[in-house]
Parts: sequence; structure tokens; C-alpha cells
Amino acid sequence: MEYAYLAAGIVFGLGAFGAGIGNGLIFSKTVEGISRQPELRGALTATAFIGVGLVEAMPIISLVLAFMWAQ
Amino acid sequence: MEHLAPIIKLGGFRLDLSALFMIVLSSVIVFILCRLAVRNLSVENPGKLQNFLEWVVDFVKGIIGQAMDYKKGAPYLALGLTLILYIFVSNMLGLPFGIVSEAHDAEHATFLGMQLFIDGHHDHLAFTWWKSPTADASMTMALALIVIVLSHVQGLRRNTKHYLKHYASPSILFFPLHLVELVSKPLTLGLRLFGNIFAGEVMIGVILGMGFVGIPALIAWLGFSIFVGAIQSFVFTMLTMVYISQAIVHEEDH
Repeated sequence: MEYAYLAAGIVFGLGAFGAGIGNGLIFSKTVEGISRQPELRGALTATAFIGVGLVEAMPIISLVLAFMWAQ
Repeated sequence: MEHLAPIIKLGGFRLDLSALFMIVLSSVIVFILCRLAVRNLSVENPGKLQNFLEWVVDFVKGIIGQAMDYKKGAPYLALGLTLILYIFVSNMLGLPFGIVSEAHDAEHATFLGMQLFIDGHHDHLAFTWWKSPTADASMTMALALIVIVLSHVQGLRRNTKHYLKHYASPSILFFPLHLVELVSKPLTLGLRLFGNIFAGEVMIGVILGMGFVGIPALIAWLGFSIFVGAIQSFVFTMLTMVYISQAIVHEEDH
């Protein structure tokens, strides 16, 4: 049982770690793009949020797994 | 206190009554919303709901237009509209409140005379009847399966040669990778939606357990949940269109 908690912690921690890097990359590139072409701000922000929606899937799935294991 | 799902056993299957009830409820809400919006259609003097629905239709048209040539994608407008409205309403339903029924022992836990199935031993039984239907894994996996099967069937029917050929592209060595993709597409599509909404509801439960201290956190999290629900319905519809376009469009068209 203790190992299940450990596994849940590792899974969610690694998921959040990867998603943090991914979100950082997305928004750094978005800011770069907006500063180059400020008139594209709306389109770029929309695309960035789609990317965030895709990236967020992995940590959230790992969160659900972590909850399942830690019960 | 932990809340259980009201599950009955029917022919060997475990049937979650709350998910079933909420699926029907969100279908009815979407149906009524759309009927109300198209009740008094007019060109000169459109009502507020008509304006709203026209905006949604334009929005879905934009999604399809991004994924493929709109002339090819026009038949899927109704599918996209249904998906985005249904998933959005489903995501929003679980947020405002909850309905919980209690029973003191397992024998009294019944619904319309049917015995509820209880896993393990609990001192106090509380069943939750109100949640987002999309916070149920079987529901989102069913949606994902519908969409993926549809895309493969459309690929086989409209684009047979190129659809079959893409399994061996760029060479036959990549066939196992395509098989992995075949499984991972519906899995991620369904689990993404389920995970986001389920994790949101679990977080609401955790914050509610904090008492009065949690009120600002709850306000912030509910706002974030509305945002996440909208984004997820949009992402699901967009990925649907992308998968369909991958199946029915081949390179020579570009």
C-alpha cells in the first residue's frame, strides 16, 4: 500500500514536470511570435490555448491514475 | 465522507445510474436549447438565441475549415455541432451543485426496488446523483469510439486506396507504428476529456472539505473549470475533424 502512494506521487510529479516544460515552451514561442507580429495576437493566443489543452491531457491522466492508485 | 456511485447490476454489467441519468438530462437540455433557438427564425430580426446558435455554427464551420477543405468537410457540420454543444453542456452540468442520497445500511440502498451494488464495507452510505456525465470514463470512451470508428469507416468508403496505403507508409516497416496509433487515438481522445472533468470534480470535492477557508479557492477553481470545460469541448471537436480529415483527404488534393 505504501508503494502505491509512492507510485502515485512519482507519476503525478513526473506528469506535472513534463507538462510544465511543455506549457513553458508553448507560451515562450507564443510571446516570441506576438512580439514579431503583434497583429496576429488573437490567432496565436487561440492556437496556444489549443496546444495547452493537448499538453494538459497527460498530467491530468496521470492525476487520475494517481488518485486511483492512492485510494 | 466518501461518496459512492449508485451502481446497479444488470445482466452482468455494472450500470452507473447517475451517469445514465445525467447523459439523458444533458441530451434533453441540448435538444431544448436548439429547439428554442430555431423556433422563430427570422432574417431581419433574429432573436438572441438565434444569434447565439448562428455564432456556434460559424465557430464549428471555422473548426472544420481549419482541419480540411470546407467543401469536403461540410457533411460533418452537424456532427461537430452536436459534439461541441453536448460536451460543453455536459462539462458545465456538474459544476453548480450536487445531489446526494443517504442510506444507513446496504439493504436499504435501493432505487425503484433495485438493489444498489456496493463495493467493500462502509459505515455510512452516501450516493451522489449529480455529476458531469463526462466525468464517467465509459461515457467519454464511448464518444471517442463513435468518432474514431466513424473516421475509419469514412476513410474506407471514400478514400479506400489511400486509406489502406497509409498503413504501409513510408514503408511496410512502419505498420506496427500505425497499429499503435490506431489504439492510442481513441484512448487519448476519451481519457483527455474524462481526466480533465473528473480531476476537476475531485478537486471541487477536496476544496469543499477545507470548509470556509476554501471559499476563494473554490471561486477560482470553478472559474478555471468553466474555462477547462470550454477548451476541452473545443479540443474534442477539433481533434474529431482532424482525424476525419486524416482519413478522407489524401496528399494529391493539396
